[in-house]
Amino acid sequence: MSENNKLVGPLVGVSVTLLTALIGLVTVRSAVASAGERLLTPEAEKPQVAVADQAEVSYCTPRFKEVLQRVLHSCGLSGEGQRRGCKPADVKNFASISDEDFNALFTPLKDRGAVLMFDTSKHELDAASKKLLEDRWFDRKGARYFFVVARASKTGTPSKNRALSHRRANSVMFHLKEIAKDDPDLDKKVGLLWLGNEFAQLSKSYCDWNNSRPNKKCGEEPINRSAFVSWVDCRL
Amino acid sequence: MKSRIPYVVALIGSLLGLVFGFYSTLDYAEHLDRRLHDVHCSFIPGAAPTAEAEACRAAMYSPYSAVMKEAYWGGIPISLFALGAFAFFVGFAAYLLVSGPNAPRRSRVFYGLVGLTPLLVSIGMFTISLLKLGSICKTCAGIYIGSTLLAIGAVWGMFVKAKPVAPSSTDESDERRRVAPTLPMTPAPSGGPMRVIAPIAWLVALAVLTLLPSVVYATGVPDHRPYLKQCGALKKPATKKDRLLSVVTPKSKRPATLFEDPLCPTCKAFHERLVRDGVFDKLKSDLALFPLDNECNWMLDTALHPGACTLSKAVICGKDDARLVLEWAYEHQESLTAAGKAGQPQLRAAIKARWGQKMLTCVDDKQTKETLNRHLHFASANSIPVSTPQLFLSGTRICDEDTDMGLRYTLEQLAPELYR
Repeated sequence: MSENNKLVGPLVGVSVTLLTALIGLVTVRSAVASAGERLLTPEAEKPQVAVADQAEVSYCTPRFKEVLQRVLHSCGLSGEGQRRGCKPADVKNFASISDEDFNALFTPLKDRGAVLMFDTSKHELDAASKKLLEDRWFDRKGARYFFVVARASKTGTPSKNRALSHRRANSVMFHLKEIAKDDPDLDKKVGLLWLGNEFAQLSKSYCDWNNSRPNKKCGEEPINRSAFVSWVDCRL
Repeated sequence: MKSRIPYVVALIGSLLGLVFGFYSTLDYAEHLDRRLHDVHCSFIPGAAPTAEAEACRAAMYSPYSAVMKEAYWGGIPISLFALGAFAFFVGFAAYLLVSGPNAPRRSRVFYGLVGLTPLLVSIGMFTISLLKLGSICKTCAGIYIGSTLLAIGAVWGMFVKAKPVAPSSTDESDERRRVAPTLPMTPAPSGGPMRVIAPIAWLVALAVLTLLPSVVYATGVPDHRPYLKQCGALKKPATKKDRLLSVVTPKSKRPATLFEDPLCPTCKAFHERLVRDGVFDKLKSDLALFPLDNECNWMLDTALHPGACTLSKAVICGKDDARLVLEWAYEHQESLTAAGKAGQPQLRAAIKARWGQKMLTCVDDKQTKETLNRHLHFASANSIPVSTPQLFLSGTRICDEDTDMGLRYTLEQLAPELYR
C-alpha cells in the first residue's frame, strides 16, 4: 500500500467528521438564533385563551340586563350604597316596565329558580321551603346575584300586604344568612324585592313552577303568597 | 471486504444516533421562543413533527433532558452531546471503513472502546425513562438503537484481523513479525510515539466535538428574564371566604396559589416536577381546585375531564390530607379518568374503595359543593385563563411556558430560596 493510499482513510475520516460537525453546529446555531428572533417578534395569531368569568346564559337579553342593572343599582347591590332591598313603589319606578313584562323577564328562570310558598298572613318559612331554598342557593354555579322576589296576595289592605311581603323577603334573607355564615359578601349577592298587590302579581300559570308545596292546591291566591328565588346567570 | 462490515454497522448506528440527536436538539431549540410546537417523535428518521408526542414531551420536560437548567432557560439539552459525539463516530467509522484492514489496530481498539460509551449512556437514560418517566420516547429510542449498532460494530471491528504486511519489508515491524508471526502488527510509520499520541488526540477530538455544540447552543440561548413576569398576577388575593385548601409543610417558605385539576395530565406532570425538585414542600400553597368538567364548571361547554368535579370534591374532603387525596388521584389518573368517562357510579366506587363511605358522604355534602364553587368563583374573580395547571408565586403568575422546560430557571430567578 502506498503512502498516499494510507492517507485516504484518515483524510476521509477527518473530512466526514468536520463536515458533519460543521453542519450540526451551523444548524444548532441557526435554530437557536431563529428561536431568539421569534421571541422578540410577537405572534401574529396568538391562540386566544378563554378567561375565567361569571356565567352568561341565553336569557341574559339586553332588556333583561337593563332591568337587572336598575334593580341592582336601586336596591343597593352595586356600589357602596347602604340601601338594602326595594319596595313596590321603587320597583314600579325604576323598572319602567309593565307587570306582565316584568314577570316575563323571569320566565327563563323557571328551571333555575323556585317558588317558596307561605301560609296566609304568615312570613315564616316551613321545612320544605327551607330545603328548597338551600337547594337553590347551593346550586349557584357561575351566577353572581341571587334574586328574591317576595309577594303577598290581594287579600287584605295594600299596606298590610306590603309589610307582609317585606317580612317574607326578610325571612328568606335570614335563612340565607344562616346557611352562608362565612360569606361576608352575602349582602352584595342577594337582591331583595318585595311586591305588594299593586305590581307584578303572578297568574295561576306559575303554579307549574318548581315550588315548595307541589302537592297542595294552587291558584292565584296561594301562588302570590310566595317568594320567588333564583340565581341569575348574567354578567353585568 | 469482511473486515469492513463491522464499520458499515457502526456507521449506520452512528448516523442513526446523529439524526435522532439532531431532531431532538432541534425540538428543544424550537421551544426557546416560548411558543407551542409539535415534536419529532417517530422511529422514522426525519418524520414530520406531531402534536401526539406525549412520551417525547415528557422526556423533554423531565429534569434528565438537559443540564445546567438553573443557568439557562431549559438548560443545555443532552442531545447536543450526542450530536457532537456521533459526528465523531460517523467520521471515525468512515475512516475505518475506507482504510479497511489497513487501519492500525490501535484505531480499531480505540473505536471499540469509545464506541461503547454511547451505549452505556443510553442504558442509563433507558433505565431513567423506564423507572422515572414510565415511558420511552421514540426519538430517544432511535438514539438507543443507534448506540447499540455503533457498539456492536465498534466491538466487532476490534476482532477483525489486520492485513499482513508484505514480507519484503525490512523495517522494525518486520523484525517483530518474525518473532511473533501469528499476531497482526501495526505498520511501522504509525508505530512508536504515535501509539500513544494518536489515541490521546482522538480522545481530545472526541471531547471537543462532544462539547462544541453545547458551547455554541449556550452562547446563543436568548435571555428569558424579561418575559418571566409578563403573565399577570392575582387581582384579588385569597381570603378565608374563598375556602382555598392550605397545603403547608415545615419547610414552606414561599406563598403560592395553585390551580389544579385532579384529572389533568399536565397538572400531574407539573405536580410531580415540583415534588421531585423538592419545590412543592417549600411552597406555602393555597390550592384552588379548577376541574375542567362542566358538571360544576360553568366556564366550559363540554367536559374535558369528566368526573373531575367529583374528584375535586374528594380532594376538598381530604381537608388536612388534601394533598394525599390529590396525589392519589394523580397516581391513579389513568384508571380514574376511565372511571369518570364510564360514569359517576364507577368513579364513586373507586373513591369509596380507597377512602371509604365517609368520603362519599362528604363529597355529596352541600358545603363541599359550595367550597368547590367558591374555588371556581375565586378563579373567575381573578380572571385567570381557563386552563390548568397554574402557579402564582407570591401573586405573580408563572407563565405556562415556564412551568415545564423553563421551570428550574424561572424559579431560580423568581424564588431562588426554593432551591436552597
